[in-house]
Amino acid sequence: MNNPSRRDFLKLSTDALLALAGLLGIGGLIRYLSYQFDPAPPSEFDIGPEMYFPVNSRTVLAHIPAIIIHDEKGISALSLTCTHLGCTVEERNFGFECPCHSSRYDLDGQVVRGPAGNNLKRLRVEQTEDGNLHVFTT
Amino acid sequence: MPASIDQDPNSKRRALFSRFLLAGIIGFILLRTTLLAPLNAEASPQIQSTSSPTPQPTPTFDVQRLEKPVIAPGNTEQLEKGSVIYWGVCMACHGDVGQGLTDAWRDAFGPEDRNCWNKGCHGTDHPPQGFLIPKDMLIPAVAGPGRLTRFRHAQELHDFIFANMPWWDPGQLSNEEAWQVTAYILKLHNVMPVGLELTETNASAISTQYAVPQPGDDSPAVLALTGILALAGVGLIAQNLRRHRTSAPQRPNFFHHLHPPTIPALQARLRYTLGAGGLAVFLCLILLVTGILEMFYYIPVPDQAAVSIEIITTLIPFGALTRNLHFWSAQALLIVMTIHLLRVVLTGAYARHRRLNYLIGLGMLVLIILLDFTGYVLRWDEGIRWALIVGTNLLKTIPWVGGSLYHLVIGGPEPAPSSLERFYTWHIFVLTLGMICLGAWHIFRVRRDGGIAAPPPDQRIDATRITRFELVRREVLIMVIAGVILLMVSIIFPAPIERPITQTAFDVHNARAPWFFLWVQQLLKIGDPFLWGVVAPALLLLLLAILPYILSQPGDHELGKWLPRGNRIAQIIVIVLTLSLILLTILFILPRTQI
Repeated sequence: MNNPSRRDFLKLSTDALLALAGLLGIGGLIRYLSYQFDPAPPSEFDIGPEMYFPVNSRTVLAHIPAIIIHDEKGISALSLTCTHLGCTVEERNFGFECPCHSSRYDLDGQVVRGPAGNNLKRLRVEQTEDGNLHVFTT
Repeated sequence: MPASIDQDPNSKRRALFSRFLLAGIIGFILLRTTLLAPLNAEASPQIQSTSSPTPQPTPTFDVQRLEKPVIAPGNTEQLEKGSVIYWGVCMACHGDVGQGLTDAWRDAFGPEDRNCWNKGCHGTDHPPQGFLIPKDMLIPAVAGPGRLTRFRHAQELHDFIFANMPWWDPGQLSNEEAWQVTAYILKLHNVMPVGLELTETNASAISTQYAVPQPGDDSPAVLALTGILALAGVGLIAQNLRRHRTSAPQRPNFFHHLHPPTIPALQARLRYTLGAGGLAVFLCLILLVTGILEMFYYIPVPDQAAVSIEIITTLIPFGALTRNLHFWSAQALLIVMTIHLLRVVLTGAYARHRRLNYLIGLGMLVLIILLDFTGYVLRWDEGIRWALIVGTNLLKTIPWVGGSLYHLVIGGPEPAPSSLERFYTWHIFVLTLGMICLGAWHIFRVRRDGGIAAPPPDQRIDATRITRFELVRREVLIMVIAGVILLMVSIIFPAPIERPITQTAFDVHNARAPWFFLWVQQLLKIGDPFLWGVVAPALLLLLLAILPYILSQPGDHELGKWLPRGNRIAQIIVIVLTLSLILLTILFILPRTQI
């Protein structure tokens, strides 16, 4: 056994080559399956001029999804994506409730009841040169 | 506390376990970074670059902007030629960065050329070498965010340029020049993958709306795999496992059923079996694996089917290899199965109780032909248009049931989105499932019927037997050789794909059936489609099926060798049939003499 014969060496090297081919195949398989060609989703939304959002209004924009709040402090935006597992929360008179696992947030997006651990995300709103408001989700 | 851990055997085991876990995690991270990092690194900057704003042209007169483009190294020749054509033909109107005929761009021309319309070149009173551009016509930008949205991919952009540009003289560009301009415009638009040469077989994979991750070059890895397999094959040939190894007694499973501890050495003679049956099993396995891999990316929707195939072959790492392997295995399988069928008839191996297995095998041949045809149709590109229409219209010619059979297969009054979905389901599920069931039954019957084949009578006393290990070694050897050949063919010859089907057929250069149906296409030239396209092939199949039932069979003493006397007529029939099919195919391929 300490001095392997030619045949043992041949068998060992053949097996090793077959195993190496298998490993290469698995590596190629991982590369094949990890390819992603879909573009990243948009992170900036043109939501139109400020006059669409009068003072003391709360406007839900389902395509972002976000709620645009215009109060005495100005215009702000809250993401409507639940911070728990990503469902879109629904508007209630006390604030927001998630239909999936019943997390609750108050009118300002602060968590009132779990399972969500974080408050609804505040989104950046900016006015561009053409006068339209833009919401940024990142 | 730390001191007590060393003494506690449980903690020691836990420490050992955590060390293994750590090693595993490090190994996984290494694997991930080496295998995936290049892919992601290529992907992200490309996508970001699309959203970067087009540089605004400066309003000052800048001679350099109007200079002929310099041929830069590293670009494809196509792109370079495209930049020259763009500079000479397109730039004046569409801008040096594809901004369109903006005021700022006209300012770059220099004071005397700024007003295209009043100067006379493009006004109503233009000289013969000029042409009219209506003053209110918008000359669009061709690059930058939000541009080119009317074209989904490079193929559509090319088709538009080829048909409509230059605006004052459409049709002036050759097909090749249109590809060059397309490549250059896509580069201006920041979506052109570096180093890619646009052709009809990959352009549909290049979106005009976002930059796809760079297609990697996986030929080194594929070549390495081929080389390693070839070396392993050499090792297997050099090896000779004569030593009989004993295995621990096990409950026999399906593998053991197919590989008894020993079999007579003469049963496994390659010059008798030709290895065709085993090779067919191997090809089926390759087809199953590569087919599943293709399903991850293939989209069975008419306007996306060919596009998704071009994405597989152009962009996805090892995608071209996967598709080429699938294609060439399918073609090879058809030939290997035919050889297997011929071998069985020419040795009279279907005699007596093996008749059932012969029929099962014939059923599998029919399934494979249907699988080949449905798989061919799944391309849904210009190449399959006529074969699909002819093949399905043949069903309609069958009296009484033709119409309903057509609806059953096509799912509508004519080939439509629902037909592609049907072909997909037939191909990947129904026919494949049937193939798996029949295949398992067929292989099971081989052993039930007494192994591969009885040796010739004069050699039956030879008691030499080979072990299960030797049989497996031979099988692995055949698989490795076949695998290496398939890999090499797949590297050199890409599987066919053409432009996606469009509403109008404007290029009928390929009205051919797939090669295994060319003989039917030749027969159809004779006359009545039902008679020659349906009845004739069906009769041929029926004749093959009843061979062992109506014609004489070889006697027991004749079994196990080629061309026994007992079934001469059957042998003559299959040889004549095979030669006729080959002759019909050759007749079709030969250029027709004009009268």
